[in-house]
Amino acid sequence: MSAAQQQPAQQRPAQNRPSQQRQGPWTGTRVLDLTGLAGAYGTRVWAALGADVICVEPPAGNPIRRMPPLAPGQDGPEASLWWAYYAASKRSVVLDPTNADDAAALLDLIGSAEVVLDDALPATQEIYPWLADRGEGGLGVAGIVEKFPHLTWVSVTPFGMTGPRRSWNSSNLIGWASCGLASTVGFPHGPPLVPGGEIGVLMHGASLYGVIGAMLSLRSRGQAVARGEPALGQTIDLSLQEVGLWLSPETGVPLYLDDQVLRPRAGNRRPVTSPMGMYPASDGYVAIIAIQPAHWNAMAQWVSEITGNDGILDEIFVDIVVRREALEAVDAWVEELTTQFTKQELFVEGQRRRIPITPVNTVGDLRNDPHLEAVGWWRTEEHPVLGSYTVPGSPFTTDGDWWAWQRAPMLGEHTDEVLGELT
Amino acid sequence: MADEQGSEIGKGADARPLAGIRVFELSIAVAAPCCGKILTHHGAEVFKVEARSYPDVARLFGSAWARDPELADVFCDTSPYLPEMSAGKRSVGLEMKLPEGLEAAQRLLATCDVFLTNFAAPGIAKLGLDYASAAKVRPDIIYAGMTGFGVDPDKPYYPFRAFGPNQAPLVGWDALTGFPHEEPAGIASIAPPDYMGGLHTTLAILSALHERDQTGQGRFIDISQLETTVSFLGPYLVGRDLGVPETIRNGNRVPWAAPTGIYPGAGDDVWVAIEVPSDEAWRSVAALAEWSVIESDDGSGQPALSTYPHETLADRIANHDAIDAELSAWTARRSPQQAAAELQAVGVAAYEVLDHRGVLADPQVHDRRPYSVAPCPRLGRDLFVRDPLRMSATPPYVTRAGPNMGGDTVDVLTEMGYSGTEVERLIADGAVFTDARPEVVLQRPFDRWYESVDIAEIYDGGATVAGSGQ
Repeated sequence: MSAAQQQPAQQRPAQNRPSQQRQGPWTGTRVLDLTGLAGAYGTRVWAALGADVICVEPPAGNPIRRMPPLAPGQDGPEASLWWAYYAASKRSVVLDPTNADDAAALLDLIGSAEVVLDDALPATQEIYPWLADRGEGGLGVAGIVEKFPHLTWVSVTPFGMTGPRRSWNSSNLIGWASCGLASTVGFPHGPPLVPGGEIGVLMHGASLYGVIGAMLSLRSRGQAVARGEPALGQTIDLSLQEVGLWLSPETGVPLYLDDQVLRPRAGNRRPVTSPMGMYPASDGYVAIIAIQPAHWNAMAQWVSEITGNDGILDEIFVDIVVRREALEAVDAWVEELTTQFTKQELFVEGQRRRIPITPVNTVGDLRNDPHLEAVGWWRTEEHPVLGSYTVPGSPFTTDGDWWAWQRAPMLGEHTDEVLGELT
Repeated sequence: MADEQGSEIGKGADARPLAGIRVFELSIAVAAPCCGKILTHHGAEVFKVEARSYPDVARLFGSAWARDPELADVFCDTSPYLPEMSAGKRSVGLEMKLPEGLEAAQRLLATCDVFLTNFAAPGIAKLGLDYASAAKVRPDIIYAGMTGFGVDPDKPYYPFRAFGPNQAPLVGWDALTGFPHEEPAGIASIAPPDYMGGLHTTLAILSALHERDQTGQGRFIDISQLETTVSFLGPYLVGRDLGVPETIRNGNRVPWAAPTGIYPGAGDDVWVAIEVPSDEAWRSVAALAEWSVIESDDGSGQPALSTYPHETLADRIANHDAIDAELSAWTARRSPQQAAAELQAVGVAAYEVLDHRGVLADPQVHDRRPYSVAPCPRLGRDLFVRDPLRMSATPPYVTRAGPNMGGDTVDVLTEMGYSGTEVERLIADGAVFTDARPEVVLQRPFDRWYESVDIAEIYDGGATVAGSGQ
């Protein structure tokens, strides 16, 4: 018996139950998150919108708890800033997969949920190791769903639940490689690159898609109930590779089939015309895209005003083809302007002139961004181990009271509370 | 299972979760269209409201093979972006800058559950389709506005222009893409921030529908894409206050697994991506690569790996460059496919870096068929990516590609109660428009090509969705 189960439920004070602090449209929906990064961002958003998202962790903790960057001076299960950020507003339950009682508790917990998100490879899902020792020859996802037909079980896996590569391992990097997109990012002289590097854009996209699938399934179930039909859930098979294919139309297969042109890596300037791409500022880079005549005219005027270059105002340069043929010269003229100002100065003044120009921001730049400051985006969180720190605000806003953010749970912080709710 | 469900599609009642939901989409390029695309595949009826006076750039791209003066009027129906973003949607041609066009839009809006737009906030206000105006027409509307910088005119960037390819630099993703010793490489070839904005918006709309089911109330949703996409930097932004050194671009490396990277294969510009997540996996790589046959540079004949520590993650991060050199020597002697297969066989994450020819040859793509082919009014039929959610009870699908620009105007106006005479008058006045020469049916150059490969599910316009089986 785990300690949690020996404690009668009524001894746990009700005010400790976070469900009472929740608000937002998904209050009352329980979601079990058995994933790592394949679910973390999506369930973070869902939890802040009111869903009771419970992370089930082994005693050593979810692997995200070990992911750098770590808070300085910390190395325990609360040290990872990935965990501090992506587990916000969720609850943590620790169950030991080698303990039969904990395995039973997990099954009860699954039965109490509306949705389970899982990222185990298909072979693992066939006999779920946490539930393998129940004397029934093991229980896989199919068996669990049969036992709890109301459940929506979302499997976010590298290559999906079927096909010859269903058992292959993956990661954010591998996902970008397998969907055709990494091949288009980088310099011609170098290797393909992961868009956004280590921040994990594709994994977060897949996690959002998994949550969207779960929400769709819940809607479908609700409609069935309204028609007087049984409240049935379903299984959802989401492949990281296919999420990559979904977000690739600019360079994707249908476009390739249409023109038979492979999109090469072109670095940070597009040889389509000038200015198009990154240009040096006094303190970094700006991105400029001046394709339309109005954008070019404003750009040329600006260059002329600052550098005294009147040649750039010649009407022949309004033609994007002429600018492509004179690419190096036009780029050099533009750089004479951009190198004189900071990227933020170029952003503000360029936008005032209606030119599509943005700073190439770093993490530090964004932390100090005047707009994010002015809209009051940042929140402060207090954490018992990490102390006080600033975190990003909500990813979008509404005219309702939708968001309720809470700090990430410590390892096993809610084990007693959650198991108590089951009894 | 899949075949049984497939046989139900197109027969009885539509069981998809969004059946019966009507969406007014006023959109451009990617961010809002890809949200409407998800809603469409899951059963919503999405009206893509278009104007000739400010067409969607996806229309303007057209297709290279269709650059023929005689096709100028139907060029806008030929872009491969179109089925990718709008297959299954209905295109309604309304010139909303004209009073009668706006009135038709308002009558359509009154029948809709969701208003979806990524027009700039100042522009949408000028059209008279901001939230306050829309809610007068349809009080319980779920209004999702995807703006660059929000809807508050008093905030610094409110008047600034957000532009798909400029979003990744703005929100920090470009600066994190590339090698530390080089300029940022950026993400110019694709626009992942637009898709991530679309996913957030879809999640927000589904949440608002869920809420409306309980309360009957509509909702205004402000998807300011700056905040939405900066959210992916969370751990690194949190670190700023805790004294963590700022993360800069780090190639393809990650601080929690090493070696990790993209390595050259045997051949010209072919690559394999490898991520070694654990010490155990690393030992498998070392055994597989038979490092003992690789001699170190010092001429001692010792296996190179024994010349520096590599047992722990910290060791491998410290010696990443040296490990990369040796791993590259191993990968360069085999094809990316072979290298990936050998590594996956010992449990290491690896894959060929596919280009789009590679995607077409990928065994997983052939097995799972992530593309669809469906009838298309302008092109006979057309190909587009399927929704990636494989739902066992309510699979997503659409039954038509396209749409032609303005191709559904007459049907939609008629459904809204306009008489045939009224529709004719609106067309004559230029307040609404229909598709150009609907009798012109073209064919993509690849039209016959895709019959020979199993990458797509073919919707034949009848009762079934099935693999091509060819």
